[in-house]
Amino acid sequence: MSSPVLQLTGLSKSYGHGDIFSGISFEVGSSKTVGLFGQSGSGKTTLGRCIMRIENPSSGHIMMQGMDLARMGLRKLRELRPSFQMIFQHPEVSLNPRMTLAESVAEPLMVHKGIGMDEALKEIAPLIRRVGLRDEHLARYPHQLSGGEVQRAVLSRIFSLQPKLVVADEPTSMLDVSVQAQVLRLMQDLQKETGVSYLFISHDPDVMSVMCDQVLWLDHGNGVMYDRTAFLDRVKTEYTPVAPA
Amino acid sequence: MSEEIVISPKTRRMLPAKSMHDSNNRLYREIAKRPGFQVCLVLLGLLIIVAIFAPYISPYDPEAISVRDKNQGISSAHLFGTDFLGRDLFSLTLCGAQTSLLIASVSVAIALAFGCVVGCIAGYYGGVVDEILSRCVDLLLAFPGIIFALALLAFMGAGILNLIIAITISQWAIYARLMRGQVISIKNLEYVQSAYTAGLPDRRIMIRHLFPNAIMPVLILATLDIGHVILSVAGLSFLGLGIPPGIPEWGSMIGAGKEFLRTAPLNVIVPGLAITFVVLIFNFLGEGLRDILDVHKDQVNIG
Amino acid sequence: MTLLSVQDLNVRFPSGEGTVHASRDVSFSMEPGEVLGLVGETGSGKSVIGQAIIRLLPTSAQITGKIRFDGQELTSLPDHTMHALRGRSISLVPQNPSGSLDPLVRNGMQIAEIFIERGTVKNTAWEKACALLVAVGLIPSDQIAKEYPHELSGGMRQRLTTSIAIAEHSRLIIADEPTKGLDYHARATTAQVLSDIRTRENASLLLITHDLYLAEHLCDWIAVLYAGEIVEIGPAHQIFTQPRHPYTQALIKAMPKNGLVPLDGQSPSLMAIPKGCCFADRCSCHSEICSKEHPGLIQGSLNGGVRCHHPFCS
Repeated sequence: MSSPVLQLTGLSKSYGHGDIFSGISFEVGSSKTVGLFGQSGSGKTTLGRCIMRIENPSSGHIMMQGMDLARMGLRKLRELRPSFQMIFQHPEVSLNPRMTLAESVAEPLMVHKGIGMDEALKEIAPLIRRVGLRDEHLARYPHQLSGGEVQRAVLSRIFSLQPKLVVADEPTSMLDVSVQAQVLRLMQDLQKETGVSYLFISHDPDVMSVMCDQVLWLDHGNGVMYDRTAFLDRVKTEYTPVAPA
Repeated sequence: MSEEIVISPKTRRMLPAKSMHDSNNRLYREIAKRPGFQVCLVLLGLLIIVAIFAPYISPYDPEAISVRDKNQGISSAHLFGTDFLGRDLFSLTLCGAQTSLLIASVSVAIALAFGCVVGCIAGYYGGVVDEILSRCVDLLLAFPGIIFALALLAFMGAGILNLIIAITISQWAIYARLMRGQVISIKNLEYVQSAYTAGLPDRRIMIRHLFPNAIMPVLILATLDIGHVILSVAGLSFLGLGIPPGIPEWGSMIGAGKEFLRTAPLNVIVPGLAITFVVLIFNFLGEGLRDILDVHKDQVNIG
Repeated sequence: MTLLSVQDLNVRFPSGEGTVHASRDVSFSMEPGEVLGLVGETGSGKSVIGQAIIRLLPTSAQITGKIRFDGQELTSLPDHTMHALRGRSISLVPQNPSGSLDPLVRNGMQIAEIFIERGTVKNTAWEKACALLVAVGLIPSDQIAKEYPHELSGGMRQRLTTSIAIAEHSRLIIADEPTKGLDYHARATTAQVLSDIRTRENASLLLITHDLYLAEHLCDWIAVLYAGEIVEIGPAHQIFTQPRHPYTQALIKAMPKNGLVPLDGQSPSLMAIPKGCCFADRCSCHSEICSKEHPGLIQGSLNGGVRCHHPFCS
């Protein structure tokens, strides 16, 4: 059995007046999807941001590839960045409004490999096709694209770095139902093809049950891990649906 | 579908014909809607041409003193009349334009560049760096602009270079503060965070992601400021500081000509009107730019 | 008597690049006490319909068609008459509650302002405001009334704007995307609040949403919108159990609980409406007639209808 891609031990984050979350411990296996579920304010987004070191945890360990991300210096962290990436919730601000899609998508590869834009685009051409974008999309600016197209571009940008872990922070909650289905299925296909692991943050139980093998439920700062069936049971008991009209 | 993507420079810059919000087309359309703004642009162009070619297009040598022609009114020989030393006011005005515009644009440009860099660094890094830089900015902003320039000039002595230095030092702080605020408001947006998590170096994040998206309000302020600086330079020259004698400048023209206000008012009116005219152009330009760049006002939610 | 009747509503927005035909031949009616859902995705033109009814579209909008409310033709009403109607007989719960609330005004005052403006004494207005806060479940109402909007969560702000909308016991409440951006819990609470309002006030509710869960649980009737026109309309349970239009079918199958089946392609631009059926290029049942002829709305039983050459196809 291969070692987990991500392993959290006793992770905590507090802001002076109280804990956002504390004692979070779980693993994400290779090619697996673990969900982070909770209401707004439950700390799930903060937990994702701590793992990405956009924010810094107060204590605990984030083990990845045998190294502790929580304590890592910025230079070493930057070297490791291609291995763990993030996709965000709001497509309208996910890409630099003053760069064309081609520039945005090619940029990470250009910087990490020290190559020019044309070379980078050639290298990721199959990936760009794979996510369903065409040449005319690449020539456009983000405000000329739909939410679904932006999230696809973000996926091609992220996957150009061949990450081992992708933290997805409610990537489809701002998208229409049919577009959500497109993007989520694409994410699943990319997982099958590349073996990437996902940490999937969402407040939607239906999406969670489709996407995730296991779900960490964050409640008042504490996390409890459920498998799919147990998760759905808890959802049923905690959320009584509105009675039909 | 071919595997290879050909992004020629043409494709890269081409915006598809049916796109709804072409940024360049939109800019042209917005300008086309505003005849007043177009007039300002034309006048600005004329002003720049005048400023560059003033010595060549002046009908007379601005320094040519001719005491017997002093204080003449408007005539076919002298379009704006002559001053109290017989110098042609039209030529003086044109060359004064060169002086004013040169000083104003150079000082604002340097202040803008320096202020933006400081503001961007302060806003991006935060923490101790921000504290130190912000306190410097606050210190400078505590001095009222022109008084500070005045004090510096008294210390350094007169001269065009010193004037530029004094104005730059007194101006950069406001750009730094505005830029810092802008950077702070956008640095937590997802695309900047994406650049950070993609492992892009800080310098690249600041140059490609923060600067272009933060700079607009600062640029608009700078456009308005050129007008203010021209006024300040005129004020300083009126007081006898800054411009050394011998170089035409509107403020010093007013200063020298003020005793002739009753007898030969053109000495004062001509440079006064010139200042008013130029400051107004920059004000309208700045306001127009702000209006054009307000992206959201025309949007309708169709749902 | 029918409360609201919309007939052949067309809304066009001229723009620099061409005309955006946001609403095309939209027709539907509502009875008193009924909940009708206008369900559609981004670009379907659903919000425009709500704004057209309450006459809050920008002046550049070109509107044709008839909108009759309580016997009055709204499109030809003078501005001051419409202004008196707005907020009283017809009210709107706008999209983006955070943008509709004045950040410098206390929550209680946001509601009380309405009464004060119409002549009520401040104390009475405040009491009424607190009662409304209780009605939407914002308790303890005294405390919340004294707070400011930024101290409330997204779901609570949504309930606050809802309470403003019901302040005058409107007969028609238009709710524009009431659950947008809300999490699962807040969405359930909002749905409950709207359901309670409908029962208690006996108001009609025009629910504009892309949220199918909400539509399923709240609506009596649903009109599905695509590219500016109604492609299917019928009783809510029928729409979900026996959808007739291929788009409706695809939409329902795309829901995560129904299999997350993706629907390829994109809806057409409202500036370039294709000839024939708008959904043809994405439809699995597409035939020759679909690209050539634009289907009309075929009336079914019970006043429902579907706009398709091959309904019930897949």
